[in-house]
Amino acid sequence: MARRPELLCGAAIVLGCAFLVALKVTCRVLLPKVQVLKEDEAREEIQRNHSSCRAKDVTMPAKLPVNFFSTRSPVIDLFRGQLDYADHLRQDSEIVLYFFYAPWCGQSIAAREEVEHVAGRLSDQVLFVAVNCWWNQGKCRKQKHFFYFPVIHLYHRSFGPIEYKGPMSAVYIEKFVRRVMTPLLYISSRSKLLDFLSNYEPGVLGYFEFNASPQPPGYLTFFTSALHSLKKDYLGTVRFGVITDKRVAEEISLVRSGSVYLHRHVNTSLIYPNDIMNYTAENICKWALENREMLIRWLRPHGGKSLLLNNELKKGPALLIFIPYNPLAEIHPLLDEITKVALEYHSCNKSQPAEPDLQHFRDTGSPAFDSSVPDAHMKLAETFSITKYPCCNTVVLPQWHSISRTHNVCELCINQTLGVKPNKVHVPQCNFLEIEAALDSFYLQEHTFFQVISNTIECSNFLSFYSPFSYYTACCRTVNRHFLSFVSSEKTIFQTPKAAFSSHGKKDNMQYSVPHIEDRNCFTPDLHASGTNITGLSCRTNKTLNLYLLDSNLFWIYAERLGASRSTHLKEFVTIVDLKEEVHYVLDQNQSLVGSTLENFIKNFSILYSPLKRHLVDDPSVHFDEQRVITEVTTNTFHDTVFLSEKNVLLLYYAQWCGFCASLNHVFIQLARLLPPDNFTVARIDITQNDLPWEFMTDRLPTILFFPHQRKEQSVKFPEDFSVNLPNLLKFILHHSSLSSSEPCTKECLHKETVLQQGHISHLEGEIQKLRSEISALHQAHDQLEAQLSEARREEQRLQQQKHTLEKQHKTLQLHSEQLQATYDQKNQELLEMAEKLQELADASENLLKENTLLRILVASREGKLQSKDEVKKSLQLEQPLAEDNDVSVLTATAPLEEKKIDNIDAIETEHSSRNRTE
Amino acid sequence: MLPSLGSLLCLWALRLLAPTAGTGAASRGPDVASYRERVRAMFYHAYEHYLESAFPYDELRPLTCDGQDTWGSFSLTLIDALDTLLILGNVSEFQRVVNVLQEGVDFDIDVNASVFETNIRVVGGLLSAHLLSKKAGIEVEVGWPCSGPLLRMAEEAARKLLPAFQTPTGMPYGTVNLLHGVNPGETPVTCTAGIGTFIVEFATLSHLTGDPVFEDVARKALKALWKNRSDIGLVGNHIDVITAKWVAQDAGIGAGVDSYFEYLVKGAILLQDKELMSMFLEYNKAIKNYTKFDDWYLWVQMYKGTVSMPVFQSLEAYWPGLQSLIGDVDNAMRTFLNYYTVWKQFGGLPEFYNIPQGYTVDKREGYPLRPELIESAMYLYRATRDPMLLELGRDAVESIEKISKVDCGFATIKDLRDHRLDNRMESFFLAETVKYLYLLFDPDNFIHNDGSVFDVVITPYGECVLNAGGYVFNTEAHPIDPAALHCCRKRKEEQWEVEDLMREFYSLKKNKKFTLKRAPDHSEGESAKDPEDAPSEKGGEKRNAKKNSHSLLSCPSQSFNSKLAVLGQVFLDNT
Repeated sequence: MARRPELLCGAAIVLGCAFLVALKVTCRVLLPKVQVLKEDEAREEIQRNHSSCRAKDVTMPAKLPVNFFSTRSPVIDLFRGQLDYADHLRQDSEIVLYFFYAPWCGQSIAAREEVEHVAGRLSDQVLFVAVNCWWNQGKCRKQKHFFYFPVIHLYHRSFGPIEYKGPMSAVYIEKFVRRVMTPLLYISSRSKLLDFLSNYEPGVLGYFEFNASPQPPGYLTFFTSALHSLKKDYLGTVRFGVITDKRVAEEISLVRSGSVYLHRHVNTSLIYPNDIMNYTAENICKWALENREMLIRWLRPHGGKSLLLNNELKKGPALLIFIPYNPLAEIHPLLDEITKVALEYHSCNKSQPAEPDLQHFRDTGSPAFDSSVPDAHMKLAETFSITKYPCCNTVVLPQWHSISRTHNVCELCINQTLGVKPNKVHVPQCNFLEIEAALDSFYLQEHTFFQVISNTIECSNFLSFYSPFSYYTACCRTVNRHFLSFVSSEKTIFQTPKAAFSSHGKKDNMQYSVPHIEDRNCFTPDLHASGTNITGLSCRTNKTLNLYLLDSNLFWIYAERLGASRSTHLKEFVTIVDLKEEVHYVLDQNQSLVGSTLENFIKNFSILYSPLKRHLVDDPSVHFDEQRVITEVTTNTFHDTVFLSEKNVLLLYYAQWCGFCASLNHVFIQLARLLPPDNFTVARIDITQNDLPWEFMTDRLPTILFFPHQRKEQSVKFPEDFSVNLPNLLKFILHHSSLSSSEPCTKECLHKETVLQQGHISHLEGEIQKLRSEISALHQAHDQLEAQLSEARREEQRLQQQKHTLEKQHKTLQLHSEQLQATYDQKNQELLEMAEKLQELADASENLLKENTLLRILVASREGKLQSKDEVKKSLQLEQPLAEDNDVSVLTATAPLEEKKIDNIDAIETEHSSRNRTE
Repeated sequence: MLPSLGSLLCLWALRLLAPTAGTGAASRGPDVASYRERVRAMFYHAYEHYLESAFPYDELRPLTCDGQDTWGSFSLTLIDALDTLLILGNVSEFQRVVNVLQEGVDFDIDVNASVFETNIRVVGGLLSAHLLSKKAGIEVEVGWPCSGPLLRMAEEAARKLLPAFQTPTGMPYGTVNLLHGVNPGETPVTCTAGIGTFIVEFATLSHLTGDPVFEDVARKALKALWKNRSDIGLVGNHIDVITAKWVAQDAGIGAGVDSYFEYLVKGAILLQDKELMSMFLEYNKAIKNYTKFDDWYLWVQMYKGTVSMPVFQSLEAYWPGLQSLIGDVDNAMRTFLNYYTVWKQFGGLPEFYNIPQGYTVDKREGYPLRPELIESAMYLYRATRDPMLLELGRDAVESIEKISKVDCGFATIKDLRDHRLDNRMESFFLAETVKYLYLLFDPDNFIHNDGSVFDVVITPYGECVLNAGGYVFNTEAHPIDPAALHCCRKRKEEQWEVEDLMREFYSLKKNKKFTLKRAPDHSEGESAKDPEDAPSEKGGEKRNAKKNSHSLLSCPSQSFNSKLAVLGQVFLDNT
């Protein structure tokens, strides 16, 4: 019996292996393969399996499920996973929400509260059922197979399940449940229609005549398609409405009952093509989703692995607008304003409206809506025209092959503020001749711009040759090539003779090599000056923006990482992200987010020489601290610490997560403690938290840059193939700071010298201090050793004493042993003596024996003689007994000896006999 | 009238705001402080029951409330949990345990111990406790950190392991008898991790004690593995240390191999060693080429590169953390998100998870409360501050408490399908799982020090900067301070050189020209090595290394889109 489980266990292991291992492996390879776990662990595990089979295998089944929701909760908690009962409950209610959970799941626990909250608000209309779908005895676990928890399913009567995939927050869940409850909006009047159509989210409208029957043909399908759309489009962005009034339907030119209309703001609205596609719920839903207009989109990352942002941002520059959003709120004034801007931005064909019906409708139906736009235009026009140069134009410098591949672009302005120009005080339009003249003089001066190829904008003024009253301002900067391709596509209205420049440019890019003025009707100055209008901008610019909304209640972290201030309580943030160019721009958070600021932001991005500056995110948590050995630099303090400081600066680029940086901390701390603080700053910047201008960025970490004093622009990089240690760093610094003091010595220099020497003194003092403490440490170590030594000595003494006593003992023992030896010897002697005596005795007895035999022989011969002399016998009888008596007494004395050494005696006897014989 | 209107408005505003405030579950992330306290409570629940019911055995058996010896007889759980005590801030208990260990632990025992496990758990645990003992307020010897009772214990334990390294190849046996050395009939088959997981502990020992033998054997073993990699640059699972023949030829990043790769990187960081890093980067290339599919890493045949097992192993989850250390945060995050889905499916990571089937593998459904995924979450959180990583921490705390907590501790989950429990609590639960969880929820812990604070210690060898952050965790989550390695064997020449250079700083006339010489490059203890041993055996590789202009010991800086790569968003390369 006991062997059976063991056998099973072994078999199980082999089976386990067989499952894992490719088929063609022999058994010998199989065994090590079991140990795919950490080797010894596997070995141990096998042992354990065996032993646990042998010993009683102590395991414990999972705990029984308990209530997940409190009993007072409006949510019915089927914590034993009774799915059949859940299905049964569904029949009682029109709308049911199932919350499938696992009791151990953190997300389920977090969502529990939210669902409970929604249930508290909607329990009279919706049945909330929670099902434990983990317990393996429960029906739910046996029938459903979820990869994550919690899962929310909604049923509208028999339609379902509609899975909710939105954020696990009460408002969003509630909104979705409400959408499932009423998937269709009923539009009975023109004002409701207007409301419906003015919404930024795409809308689908169906027109059904309810006069004929309570359920006109196709209505049910339309209703189902609305529910169906919620399955795919879980955020519910496509709204479905139904028009019940004929006159209202005519507004959007729907006449036939049963027709379905997809409203679009910018493009032509569509009517569902009954003739091409079958009129089914799926098809309508698909059609609507495919053809809907996405002027502005909500981005709602679901938290799992997703390419959502990747895919959206790869499409091009994106305007991300973070606003706090409550889906349940009735009105969203901010959102309305943003959508208005978005609509403007996208409406390219405004001048020739694609939807005359709607246009008309809008003009009449909502005058307020329309009039607000020109108002804004007017206001903006005023503010802009004052600040801008009255007459500017753009000049593209030829591409000098000797310079670089980047182009130099200048904005040339005629400035009349200098002096008084008599005939024209106000110039509404640029005089063509003036521009030409300015251009001429500009070209004559162009050599001054050869050096200005840099990323900063540089401006210079020069006087006109033709008019003493005006001068020209030229602001030049470098722009990338793709701007130029845009430039070249514009109509050029002015070209200087090619001959003048053809020698400079290569033939193939002739077009670029010719400087030209851009058509100003369609271009920057104009747009800037009177540029009140972003209408249709998306079609006119190459830098088309995609517009996105994010709920800052859920996704504020993205805003923070793009540089939103952490301190503001108002979670509004607008940014333009250009993934390809790796830049982003930020709308000043101090400006309140209204339509006009947004418009300006978009405009400023779209124009060719965008005044927007790349936003550099910095780490606000770093505070400047004098006490620190290493100065922590941020984006904001970078310039001050590195360039404005009077010291040599060693700057370390690091990131906290990079293992190679963190393990060098101690080297830099040591360096900073060594270097004279008056002349050197050791600084570092965490470039994960702090952006820097491109020219100061680095692509590897750690990177060490040295900015020598007085030559800050000539920074040098610590060579990468040297190991970063103290001597190397010191040599590096010395090598690059050594050039500074070659000028003759003056008073100042002497002063410097003294300062330096004072520094040296303090350094040496520090060194001495260090040495002192080292000495004290050594002393301590010495003391410790001393103590150990004395202890050792004591120990030695003790040992010696022990040895001494041991020796004593040894001596006495020796004495004892000597005595013993003596007694032993004595005894031995005695024994030997005894043996000798015995030998003597033996010898004596031998002699006696001999004598005895001799006597016997004698006796025998005497007896013979006696027998012969019978007569003589009687006379001799008196003498005989006497002799015999003597003999017997000797014999009895030797008897024990004879017995003891009987062998000896035998030997002696034989010897004796042989001797006798020889004798 | 007016006040009532005001209050009404107020109410209305509240109603409007209330749901908004209550919804931020996704954006707020879990409440860090409360979870930190729950982790602390978890630790003490397990630790106190171990002391009560299991000490001095190696491990607690939580279902039967008693103890058992598993890896030797070292009171293993106590040694392993020692530095966790300090990370939790319990200084007094740390001190008490140090005393207990000094008196109670004996390595002169007739026990067959795993070389690998003894190294990572015992030697590693003692080393880190030794290096942290000053921080824990223990009165240290004058020679600290170059001497001390815990260091002597660690050295003693490590010396017991040295006989295992005496093989023709230099690769160690898997098991050694602590009293008699390698047993006569010992199997020569050792797993790859059992060969290549010594450099962190052994190099630390060598640097602290001054005896180079430890680092030398560890390096020799690493090089032997490197030499025996397949033509396509992969290593198998088990090798014969006598004949250097691969016995199990599955190549992957998980069980049997895992910490070999980990130690190449961590060794490179700890020792500033380019050679180790170049080895890792070569492996990394091969791993990406042959085993990576859709951000999963599969098992392949080491010579052919064909897929042998399409499984994900719980032990593989350390990989994202390792990637983040060398700056490959994008890939790390992508892989991490894959692994996280497995956790969400079961409430733990099964030992094996069949990726195509999306389910556990027969006989490998257990979850012994392993730390690897949490470890990666901690590293990644350091790099990205992504609240989603805290959500994993939350899930782990909830799961472990709901599923495996029993009266006497936390029990291994025997089967993730039904959450049946087993009578075991591995020592890594207290050493690693709890430690990483706590560190995930405690961003201000001293372990996360970014170098803004540090200690200065005067040793008889000179002044020493310590505890400046950058702790390198061994594979059992025992932190080693990299600065300590530069305290003891400090060469006098270097100090004198620094002195000379400093004098130069204070003289106005710079009379010398200072140029960096090539020589110092090799001064990291590798100059003595035979150049043939170097990883770039072929001329071609050498040239490649030259062409690769950036230093091997550096991370790439993060791209622009990393700003948005949080809450599950991943970005594809700019191609």
